[in-house]
Amino acid sequence: MAKMTLEELRKLREGKKKEMTQRDSGDKSAQIIIGMGTCGIAAGAKEAFDAFLDELNSHDITDTRITQTGCMGLCFSEPTVEVDVPGMPRVIYGNVDGKVARRIVREHIIEKKLVSDHIFDKPAADIIK
Amino acid sequence: MHATICDLITDLVQNSIEARAKEITLNVEETETNLNVVIADNGKGMSAETLAKAKDPFWSDGTKHAHRKVGLGLPFLFQTSEMTGGSARIESEEGVGTTVTLHLDPTNVDLPMFGDFTTAAVTLMTYGFDGNLTIKRSLGGKEYEVSKNELTEALGDLNDLESLTLLKQFIASQEEDLLTL
Repeated sequence: MAKMTLEELRKLREGKKKEMTQRDSGDKSAQIIIGMGTCGIAAGAKEAFDAFLDELNSHDITDTRITQTGCMGLCFSEPTVEVDVPGMPRVIYGNVDGKVARRIVREHIIEKKLVSDHIFDKPAADIIK
Repeated sequence: MHATICDLITDLVQNSIEARAKEITLNVEETETNLNVVIADNGKGMSAETLAKAKDPFWSDGTKHAHRKVGLGLPFLFQTSEMTGGSARIESEEGVGTTVTLHLDPTNVDLPMFGDFTTAAVTLMTYGFDGNLTIKRSLGGKEYEVSKNELTEALGDLNDLESLTLLKQFIASQEEDLLTL
């Protein structure tokens, strides 16, 4: 890959925007929030981040945002990831390695089924008032 | 200690973000004999007393999590430098900002792997904070510099999947160029 300039980056983005407008599915977008505190980083949250990005792209899913947050208070089950898909319950998943991240994309985001064996129903007691 | 130097860097830059810095500079300089990391911010800073406490792994200021008694970010920094013959320094002034300087010996066998800088840079650029982050990176005489403001101007919403994908390609191309002779 040749070294990309900011100008090239801008042009690529504009090209993608045009494609998006033509597609315009009208769906509300999903959001993936990755816990990236000291605990999340140490447990491999960045591997989960890469896996989400790669799996979403391989399925041509574009209407999704990936954001990050600090420690969610579930340090014992890092990496933790909150997934918000319109029309589905907001869920916090724990122990999300690359493999689980790919399952979340396929099962939760595409098939609209919860990945039950990795769900945590609520954050730790010192996080919720 | 963190598994990679990039994990440690990510953790330390997040401290600057949490200190509500408007300008953060991350400088990572690698040669065959030196690995230098400098993180400078204009966040809220710390008093000498707070800084001394922050080095204790069993202390946290309690603002993020009321009952937490651990804070491992800075202890990981000092552990890494002490265990590998390097040095780490933090200079901080309340209301002015903080500068973290880390000098490491890349030939030390106990030093963690460097790790994936592309993903570290992408996650930091898209962490979601109001300020600007400038990354300056050099390896064996080659260098690049990129700022969050420039990237936002080119890509718009950085957390959008299309932007994230392009941002990762962009940083990867800069990193690849550093490794090309």
